[in-house]
Amino acid sequence: MGRVIEMDNLTKIFGEKLIAVNNVNFEVEEGAIFGFLGPNGAGKTTTIRLLLGLIRPTAGEVRVFGEKMTPGSSNLRRRIGYLPTNPRFPPTMTPIRYLDFVGKLFRIGREERMKRLATLIRSVGLLGDSSREIAGFSTGMVTRLGFAAALMNDPELLILDEPTSGLDPAGRKSTLDLIAELGKQKTIFVSSHILSDIDRVCTDVGVIGEGKGIFSGSIKDMKKIIRSRVIRLELEGNLAKFCEALKAAQWVVGFETRGDFEVDITFGPAISMVEAVREVTNLVSRLGLDLISVSSSTSSVEDAFMALLRDEESRGFLRAA
Amino acid sequence: MQADLRGLFKSRITYGWLLAAVFVQVVRTLGSSGSGMTSSVVSSGLSDFVYIWSLVIIGLAASSVSSEAGELADSIMSKSVTRLDYVLAKFTSRIAYTLISFSVVTAVLVGLALRLDVSDYNTLGLASAIFVIALTLVMLTALGVALSIAMPNTVMSIVVLLVLWYSMTFFFPVVGLNILSPGSLLGKLPDIIKGAWSLGDWETVAGFIAVSGAATALSSAYFYMKDI
Repeated sequence: MGRVIEMDNLTKIFGEKLIAVNNVNFEVEEGAIFGFLGPNGAGKTTTIRLLLGLIRPTAGEVRVFGEKMTPGSSNLRRRIGYLPTNPRFPPTMTPIRYLDFVGKLFRIGREERMKRLATLIRSVGLLGDSSREIAGFSTGMVTRLGFAAALMNDPELLILDEPTSGLDPAGRKSTLDLIAELGKQKTIFVSSHILSDIDRVCTDVGVIGEGKGIFSGSIKDMKKIIRSRVIRLELEGNLAKFCEALKAAQWVVGFETRGDFEVDITFGPAISMVEAVREVTNLVSRLGLDLISVSSSTSSVEDAFMALLRDEESRGFLRAA
Repeated sequence: MQADLRGLFKSRITYGWLLAAVFVQVVRTLGSSGSGMTSSVVSSGLSDFVYIWSLVIIGLAASSVSSEAGELADSIMSKSVTRLDYVLAKFTSRIAYTLISFSVVTAVLVGLALRLDVSDYNTLGLASAIFVIALTLVMLTALGVALSIAMPNTVMSIVVLLVLWYSMTFFFPVVGLNILSPGSLLGKLPDIIKGAWSLGDWETVAGFIAVSGAATALSSAYFYMKDI
């Protein structure tokens, strides 16, 4: 399997004032669902625009399918499907007309174009609205149309910029299901700041913060970074009594309550995770509390992500090393 | 280009413009039916395009690219479209739109004017007059699209084009820049319609072609280089 995307020291500075992307090095293997994580303003969309050749890098380069991406690389973009954040489409067009227009942009023959747009409109659930003007569409409908447009050229690489932005829970679920399904046939590069979405569908992840690449690897590797000895409990009952009992427990190094029902317990190196879970469930049972859930915080992408960002901030001048 | 043209000809602005322009030409020629001369009626009608109908062309040309700024990257340039394809399609569609609209109105004007009692025109001269006004409008359209590419927003490109156009029309003859002035050309229109064509007219045609070509080439190069 080859590399579909390669970023080498990719840098973008706007107007000598803003370093939007700073020396980023990421690679995406063929067949992966690559999650591109970062907080708002981290440089995700700028990186995607560099990937598509919509803007030129100030330094470094990006290669897609082994070729350098430039504004003139229309041959590469023929193999890419792109769903932008909050896509904007010509408001007076209908889905049929817009997808037909997209098909013409990709120079797809008429018969093939008609066949594809009919299939795609049905697949994204817009059959009943196919003759309505896009101006009247809801956010979810626009996103679905965006997906259809991104798939019109049957691309090998799908680039999705915050695909669940603005969707309700049902819309998010169906979008994530669709990404997981498409990931079986295509390479997908999906950017998001919603960590649970990335955790759910992605095989690999790249983290960017303040324009700088912080981490690249598998989701599992990212969670291992903060392999910590912490158990998170969600309890119902007298949490204060439980915390008093924890203070007396010798295997407990420290604990932190989160709201009225959750507590994170850090345990010492003397016992294993299994033993710690056994101790804590025994304690819960003895105190007559109700255990709602128990998890290891190493399973939380959110914690791993926040730890990476904190670590990056704290490095200061060491970053240049 | 097809999509752009379809959108332009479906708009209410086009219908309104064409209806108003045809109406004005009909009123003008009917009003001149007693004593009007073909050359003066046709030159007045053609002058309307430079003084009045140019406002519509300015609005449509100067908004051609800047009005799509929000959709441009997402909907169009992220597909397998080269920058040159896009820019040339914009120039072509807007110029085609201008010329088609001009042709419709001019056909009505000329058709009615030829029926006037005093037919003081030369066929070649009439065709030449129509040609130079068409070329003038092509230049205006090219400048509009070029500014739409170069300016950050539609309002700025419209304002700059308005200032430029009316400076060329009224101010350039004062400072001796006749070869780039539609205003100086309009003064010679009746003579051109009667068949008089001078070296200066060739210089004007060459100037308009040069301006159109330069605007197209420079803005296309700028669009290729800029970030979208």
